[in-house]
Amino acid sequence: MWQTISTWALEATAVFVKEWRCEFRTRYALNTLALFAFTTLVVVSFSLGPLGVDRSHGTAVLPVLLWIILLFSVAAGLPRTFVQEEETQTAMALRLSATPSALFCGKLLYNLTLVLALEVLVTPAYVIMTSLEVASPWLLVAVLAAGGYGLATGSTLVAAIIAQARSKGTLFSVLSFPILLPLLVLAVELTRGATAGDPGGVAVPVLLLYDATITVAGLMLFPVVWNP
Amino acid sequence: MLRGVSGTVDPGEMMLVTGPNGSGKSTLLRCLAGLLAADGGTIAYQENGTPLDGAERRRRVGVIAPDLAFYAELTVEENLAFFARLRRVPAARGLGVLSRLNLPLDRLAGNLSSGMRQRLRWGFALLHSPRLLLLDEPFQNFDAPGERIARELLEEHLAEGGLAVVANPSSLDFHHVANHLDLGA
Amino acid sequence: MKTFLAWLLWLWMSLVIVGAFYYAPVAEHFRVPGSSRIVFFHVPMAWTSFLAFIAAAVWSVMYLVRRNPRHDRSAGVAVQLGLLFGVLATITGAVWAKIEWGAWWNWDPRQTSILASLLFYAAYLALRQATEEPEKRARLSAAYAILGLAVTPFLFWIVPRITFSLHPDPVVNSSGKVEMDPRIQHVLYASGLGFATLFFWMHNLQRRLESLTERREALKE
Repeated sequence: MWQTISTWALEATAVFVKEWRCEFRTRYALNTLALFAFTTLVVVSFSLGPLGVDRSHGTAVLPVLLWIILLFSVAAGLPRTFVQEEETQTAMALRLSATPSALFCGKLLYNLTLVLALEVLVTPAYVIMTSLEVASPWLLVAVLAAGGYGLATGSTLVAAIIAQARSKGTLFSVLSFPILLPLLVLAVELTRGATAGDPGGVAVPVLLLYDATITVAGLMLFPVVWNP
Repeated sequence: MLRGVSGTVDPGEMMLVTGPNGSGKSTLLRCLAGLLAADGGTIAYQENGTPLDGAERRRRVGVIAPDLAFYAELTVEENLAFFARLRRVPAARGLGVLSRLNLPLDRLAGNLSSGMRQRLRWGFALLHSPRLLLLDEPFQNFDAPGERIARELLEEHLAEGGLAVVANPSSLDFHHVANHLDLGA
Repeated sequence: MKTFLAWLLWLWMSLVIVGAFYYAPVAEHFRVPGSSRIVFFHVPMAWTSFLAFIAAAVWSVMYLVRRNPRHDRSAGVAVQLGLLFGVLATITGAVWAKIEWGAWWNWDPRQTSILASLLFYAAYLALRQATEEPEKRARLSAAYAILGLAVTPFLFWIVPRITFSLHPDPVVNSSGKVEMDPRIQHVLYASGLGFATLFFWMHNLQRRLESLTERREALKE
């Protein structure tokens, strides 16, 4: 049994390595994510900056804007993982060779690292450019990690779904938003809590529960979506 | 649209499927490969009477199709190594096939000519030593030496007890065919 | 038999409407007591919208198990009706909110939940529109419906609880109170039953209509 698990893990790792190898040679996803995120970031801080945002308004508005930037950057850069496989027709070779669950995990890990990299780039810049005071930085890190994971997982599954439909660009946002809405609400609340110094209470376990739910849903539904 | 298609192939034998463009040859092969769901009827995969699940089917079936594509940003060798890892087999068999077909391993798959791409498809199909080969226009874009080597590979596969279903526009390119399914007219 | 049931439904709903206005008393604790009568329509429509979603999810699972296209069609029709009832519930809710609380929209947890579910229904229908091949459409929309089912508890129960507790809303949604006058309960549950039956009746009609349309298209080829 351990052997099956370890070979499965090797498969998932092979997918992860392949994704990053291709990505390093084209840098397409990283460029798209970074460009989109920074453009939005500049627009946001420029609009808020010169006018100044007092602390009470800051706590209300800034956490939301951060997650909006992350959400839309993800929508711009992540669906490509599956859409490109269909468009370049490499999906056929994958369907013939890969174990669906290992493929899903490999792609998920890749998307997760992309999202985490995005957060690492965007959040400090955001905090500095909007002069956001964060009372509990560790809570913020935890929210970004758990929220980022949920974003990546949900997006990976929705990307797999829309890759097989038409009008893929707009369809991704339309399909992913209702699914990610609970995650966003929780993440924004907890981010607000992190800036205000409020521990967040029951929202943290719920966020983790959401992450677990969406992971299980992804693992169970991906084979259905992937194979005819 | 395919209707009322049936046939049998035994180990060591090849079935040839012919017909004009649009007669459904590729569709049939795609259904057999598990890439397309049939609207009606069933396709059953069995070995010695026991049904096979998806993973076992993937392990036993090798496919070549005109639209089978590989990762343009990776080299030939990296592509094959990746699929070998997915299939949990050593890459040696596939690399051996490619060296017989004289395909340079360090060329980026995106820079291959159509004939070279076809050779890579052969390497991919035989990588995991499958029992059943589903070949859709297997000699497309080949020059004479390439085609000769590919035919040898097919013969060796059949001699080792493998089965093959080959879809080709004309039946003239093959001899000693056990079964002929003509979807024409 | 079917015609008899349809007439029975018509009669039932007529009785519900009459009962809403004449049999049931007004709820005294509302600002405009007469407006409380909207509860007999607004709440059952919301229930039916939710019922539609559960039905769609069940049919989706059945489709994935049996791969029978009928189940896929049933799921698609259920979501269409879920959207219809959901929109009606949102509108009636907004009207009531305006009368009772002074604003069409209050970000009351329940209002937000039903709006989120409308987004989900619309997304599901958009997915169906965007996929041509029937097998793919059925498979993808079934997967999306089940994904929605997994996320629904968060949307409807957990998140509203959390946002509610974090932002104590001074205006309490009083329709949650269970100590209602028995007569109000009678009409409310009767209306709920009527709307649920209405849903299944409309579902049956629409499903058959779509099936016939599909067969006609197939014959044209």
